[in-house]
Amino acid sequence: MSIRDGGFIDELRSTENSRIGLYAMLLAGIVFYLFPVETAVMTMFKTESAFAQTLPFAPPGADGFTLEALATAWNTLRPGLLNSLLMAIPATIVSALLGSMTAYGLTTISWRGQVAVVVLIIAGIFIPYQAVLVPLAQFWFQVLPGLLNGFVNTVFGFITGGNWQYPSRNGYVQLLQLSITHAAYGIPICTLLFRSYYQSISDEMIEAARLDGASAFSIYRNIILPLSLPMFAVTLIYQFTQVYNDLLFALVLINEPASQVATQRLAALTGGVVQSFNTTMAGAIVAALPTLLVYIVFGEQFAKGVAGE
Amino acid sequence: MAQLTLDEVTKTFQDDDGEIVAVDKVSVDIEDGEFLCVVGPSGCGKSTTLRMIAGLEDITRGEIRLDGQIINDQPPARRNVAMVFQSYALYPHMTVRENMAFGLEESTDMPDDEINERVEQACKDMGIFELIDRKPGELSGGQQQRVALGRAIVRDPEVFLMDEPLANLDAKLKAEMRTELQELQQDLDVTTVYVTHDQTEAMTMSDRIAILNDGVLQQCATPLECYHEPNNLFVAGFIGEPSMNFFPMTLEGSTLRGEWFEYELSDETVAAVEGTTDITLGIRPEDIEFVQGNGPNVFDSTVHVVEPRGNENTAHLQFDESMDDQFIATVGGMKQLKAGQRVKVRFPENAIHLFDTESGEAIRNRKLDEIETVESVV
Repeated sequence: MSIRDGGFIDELRSTENSRIGLYAMLLAGIVFYLFPVETAVMTMFKTESAFAQTLPFAPPGADGFTLEALATAWNTLRPGLLNSLLMAIPATIVSALLGSMTAYGLTTISWRGQVAVVVLIIAGIFIPYQAVLVPLAQFWFQVLPGLLNGFVNTVFGFITGGNWQYPSRNGYVQLLQLSITHAAYGIPICTLLFRSYYQSISDEMIEAARLDGASAFSIYRNIILPLSLPMFAVTLIYQFTQVYNDLLFALVLINEPASQVATQRLAALTGGVVQSFNTTMAGAIVAALPTLLVYIVFGEQFAKGVAGE
Repeated sequence: MAQLTLDEVTKTFQDDDGEIVAVDKVSVDIEDGEFLCVVGPSGCGKSTTLRMIAGLEDITRGEIRLDGQIINDQPPARRNVAMVFQSYALYPHMTVRENMAFGLEESTDMPDDEINERVEQACKDMGIFELIDRKPGELSGGQQQRVALGRAIVRDPEVFLMDEPLANLDAKLKAEMRTELQELQQDLDVTTVYVTHDQTEAMTMSDRIAILNDGVLQQCATPLECYHEPNNLFVAGFIGEPSMNFFPMTLEGSTLRGEWFEYELSDETVAAVEGTTDITLGIRPEDIEFVQGNGPNVFDSTVHVVEPRGNENTAHLQFDESMDDQFIATVGGMKQLKAGQRVKVRFPENAIHLFDTESGEAIRNRKLDEIETVESVV
């Protein structure tokens, strides 16, 4: 290769140019994603009149600044936040764990008929929430209480005297029902995520473990599970966001005001006659805090899992 | 320590078109402490055979016996075999120590300190003691290979199974590990079945070679027997580098008539090939002689390409410009040969192999000279 005069400088310049282009793109991306958030944050610190008089994204002036909206939102949402976490964290962990086990059983272990099971599970991903609302409500409010009452009073009738009642009106029971519903509904997508990950795990390594004398469970516990951590980050983030942000199941399953979740509270906050943008924005930001926190905590593992490392 | 017997072992797979036979009635007796190499081209069933011995693959028909006990239905863990995989198959999240201890933890109730002791000893034997607390990702390919071997050794198995364990190493390291593996196997004296597609590995390492093609065992014999007395065309062509030259011929009287030359056979050889007319003549590159002057079974040819290797030259020769296939002769490295040069080559009769072209069976193998004994240097 002949070296032309200035060729090196040209090359350097073109690298610099492409670098500048890259950073410009990144900056544009950041602005695009963060602009609405910035607007929301600015709005939540503004008084109603300041909101009406300033541009949405401009910071409030000294006289337009208030924490009142934030306080209102916080007070309305706080009990809902706690309920949401109580419901979403177990649901997330359970569906990720069950999804991982199911995927292991459907990928690494081979047995007759597993393709049919995989097809059923994948079909499960595409069942819309709306389609199951009525059967879901009937199951939790009629079918299960009926079965349970019958079972408990028959078997333990000598203790209950036949008067035991399934406490379906109890707030915590409702949260538990919601949590179980989300866990079950999350299994298919978690299974699919883990399955594609497990398909990339070397068969020879599993065979080596079998020759080492490990049982199917021991292989899962000692080899598959530790190797799944990046994928757990992905499913935990995805599933937590999904469960936490859901309003539909919550509306159907929770009718005790004390056990309402954050999304229900947020709906109540914004559902007044007069639209007050500052409290709405404050509510949205407060409601988003837990998901934001999850992303920050698991972010690095999430990137690894998505990159398939 | 164990004697391993494969008795008409067969493996078939179901396909849309019906049954595919991957391994067809393979019978081999592997003696206690023997090093057996299974070689063959890709897809010949050698890995499947190994996996059946390991218990990773079901046996369709036939029996596998370990010390007389049928192990067909034993799960892998109960067979007391250790396997080294081509990819090493180390557990990436465990340290070298944990990798090696895993098998003992899972398959025995040995106390932890004893496991630890054995692992450390095995690491010292393999020369990887300083790496014991590292993870596989921090090791080079050669080091990972040692860990994989160490993991097999530490189990103290009855049989070692190795599936192309050196395939991922570079040439120099491969040669080193070959010697080391041989030493290790001799020290441990464990029955070993070693699968490879590399005939050099098979020739250099094994006590005996089993050559498979299309799932059928072609020959199972010592490396030298396979080299000098191949059972058939396939073995003759597979063993040896560069490969044996083959020429299709027809027998007429005492003359083999081919497309490029006629070969005069002695009465003794004619008697040996009695009854076969379509014959393939085979001769190894190193048996072809370069001669001056004419004589019986001397042919004119042209040097097409010369590949110098230092100790020897590999010459690609043609009888005629129009000949598509070349044949290969190796000569001493100091011999001057140039492309385009006309040379006379002789195929000595005691060095030729004759095969039935139709069945591929060997009819007459080369006559071996007296086995030369090495005089010990005092």
